[in-house]
Parts: sequence; structure tokens; C-alpha cells
Amino acid sequence: MIGLAASSMKAIKLRIKSVQSTMQITKAMELVASSKLRRAKERVEHSRPYFETLYETLFKIAAADVDFDSPYLARRATHRRLYIVIAGDRGLAGGYNANILKETETDAAGQEYLVLPIGKKAVEAFARKGVPLVTKEYDEAGALSVSDSFEIAELVCQRFLAGEADEIRLCFTQFASMLTQTATVLPLLPFDAPKPAPGRRSMMLYEPDSKTVFDAIIPEYLAGVIYGALCESVASEQGARRTAMDAATQNAGAMIDHLNLYYNRARQAAITREITEIVAGAGS
Amino acid sequence: MAVFPLKIVTPDGLIFEGPVQSVSCRSIGGQVELMARHIDYCTALGMGEAHITTADGAVRRAACMGGMLSMIGGQCRLLATTFEWAEEIDRARVEQSLARAETLLAQNDLDAEQRERAQARRRRALVRRSVAERWGA
Repeated sequence: MIGLAASSMKAIKLRIKSVQSTMQITKAMELVASSKLRRAKERVEHSRPYFETLYETLFKIAAADVDFDSPYLARRATHRRLYIVIAGDRGLAGGYNANILKETETDAAGQEYLVLPIGKKAVEAFARKGVPLVTKEYDEAGALSVSDSFEIAELVCQRFLAGEADEIRLCFTQFASMLTQTATVLPLLPFDAPKPAPGRRSMMLYEPDSKTVFDAIIPEYLAGVIYGALCESVASEQGARRTAMDAATQNAGAMIDHLNLYYNRARQAAITREITEIVAGAGS
Repeated sequence: MAVFPLKIVTPDGLIFEGPVQSVSCRSIGGQVELMARHIDYCTALGMGEAHITTADGAVRRAACMGGMLSMIGGQCRLLATTFEWAEEIDRARVEQSLARAETLLAQNDLDAEQRERAQARRRRALVRRSVAERWGA
């Protein structure tokens, strides 16, 4: 009897130890994610004005001048879509990776599509599913720079102009706040221009002409959007990881409390049993 | 001289904001220079040297690549892919990237796309080098 109680006490003690070391790891991961998050958030804020101003200008050109037609504006019957999917490089970030992959699949349901995955998790997931990939080159979302996003934009534009893809969409995770991140699908090409107000013409001087300027700016715009989305996604990943690891640390704490209670109870039971046995032995 | 507000923005953040007398850079059509009270204007940028004359008449020079230049309602915006002040260009890095582009171009097995990319890299490096040599610290 004593042996059994002692062994269960030992088992509980071991379990507490192991939960404690897990808690240490989750705590450390949370701290790392917090500090990375701060940097990622700064990057998001830096990249926003560039992309917003570009978008505004393109919007104005497209809204004011309709007397040109650019291949980037042409809406074709959609046969094949190209999705640029930005996910993380690592797991243990709550629902971050699963959410964006699920969002992509819901959006692509019933469509023929190919994917340009960014981030190791996205590359792995789509390769496993057998979806045709444009390239596997970008398997490290955290390390991509501005020039990488320009390369991606160029690649995508080429595919679009060559007619290999009729529509380009970007799937990324929007960083709404520290606690909220939303998986989003954003149509990129063809450029969704607003209907111009009839009778109004812009007094803007385009050099050499509006079509050339528009066609030259579109790849820049795409690169800007992709870079912006990348920054947002990286920040979201850190945010999601921080929240997940915070929850894990709290759970580990609760588990340790619970196990301590069991341990004390087992100890108490063992002591009581020993006393009972001694008393019984003395009485006989 | 009359000044106008200029904002220079790249994906890495805001580079410059303030009143200037003029801004000049290389567009896809050639070198252009805007001064105050220009009409609404928009062009895409090529690769080349840019310089601004600040309100006190000082000239600052930079290597500027890609993007667009617009003047809307007297507000000028220069959105560049990269924009580096001449004194901040890292010459060692320029030489490195130039050498890398040259070795790439020396290979014969490049496809058209890779070749184009390497040529663009070389052109960028050359622009940055010439700006750094002429105006750099």
C-alpha cells in the first residue's frame, strides 16, 4: 500500500516537473514573440504610406481617364486563378496558419487554381495537396525583403499578361490589433477601377501618357501591396503566437496548481495510512 | 524662391518631408524637374540621380529607382522603390552587387528572365556607384 502511494506521489512530482519545463518554454516563446511583434509592427507602420499613396494615385488615374485600355484592366472570363498565399514559417502560432489556408481554400472552391506560396507552412501545405505551384523559392516569409516582393510582383505580372492566370488574388492575414488578426483575400488583378463620373475629365498631365504611366506603375503597386501584406502577415504571426503562448503558459500554471493539489492529497493519504498502520500495530 | 511641400516615401518608410524649391529625378521619359506651382502632374520613374533643392537653397542628391512622381494640388509626392541619399550609399555593398551581377552575366546558361534580372541589377549598381562617386561623402 505504502509503495503504491509513494509511486503515485513520485509520478505526480515528475508530471509537475515536466509541465513546469513546458511552461518555461512557452513563457520564453511568448517573450520572444512580443519583442519580434514590436519590430514587425513598426515595419507595418513604415510600409503603409507608400502603398496607400500608390493605390490612391492608381485609383485616380483609372477613375479619371477611360480613354485608354490597359491589359491590367481587362476583365477576362476566369478559367484559372493565381493565389499568392502568405503563411508562417513555423507552427505553434494558434490558428494563424490553419486560418489562412482554410480561407484560401474556401475562396478557391470549385475553381481551377495555382498557388504562389510564401512561407514554409504554405509551401508544405499546398505541395501536399498537389496544387500546382508557381515556385517554391519563397519558403521563408520572415526573411523576405522589398526586392523579393518586387520579384514576386514581376513574376505574377508576367503570368497574368501571358494569360496563364486570369485573375490574381492575394491571401494574407491582416493585423487589426494585438489580439485580432483576420485572414483576408484581396483581388489584385485585373485592377478594379471605379466607374468614372460622366463628363468629368481630369486636368492631370501624364508624361508620356496615362496608359504608359499606368502600365509602369501597376507592377510597382503590386510589389507595394505584396510587401505591405507580408509585413502585416509577419506581425500577425507574432501576435497570434504571443496570444497562443500566453494561453499555454496560463494553462500550464493551472495544471501545476491542480497537480499540486493531487500531490498534497496523495501525501496526506500516505501519512494517514502510515499512522493508521502504526496505531494498529501498537494496539495488537 | 517659392517652395512647395514634398514627401518622399519608400516601402521602408518616410525618407523626407518638408518644403523644397525644386525636385528633379529620372522618369521613364528622361530627367524631369518640378518647381512650385506646377500643374497636376504624374509620371513613372526610371533609374537615375535625383536631387532636391531645399527651402534654404541647399542641394541634396540621391540615387532613386522606380516608382512614381506626382504633383496633385500643389502637393508633391515621390514614391520610390529605393531612394538613397548620396552620402548614405554603402560603396562596398554596391561593388559587391555589381560583381555579383557581372559574374551572373558572364555565365552563358541564363534564360531570358534571369539575364534581364541580372542586367537590371547591374544597372542599379552602376547608378548607385556613379551617384556615390560624384556626390558621396
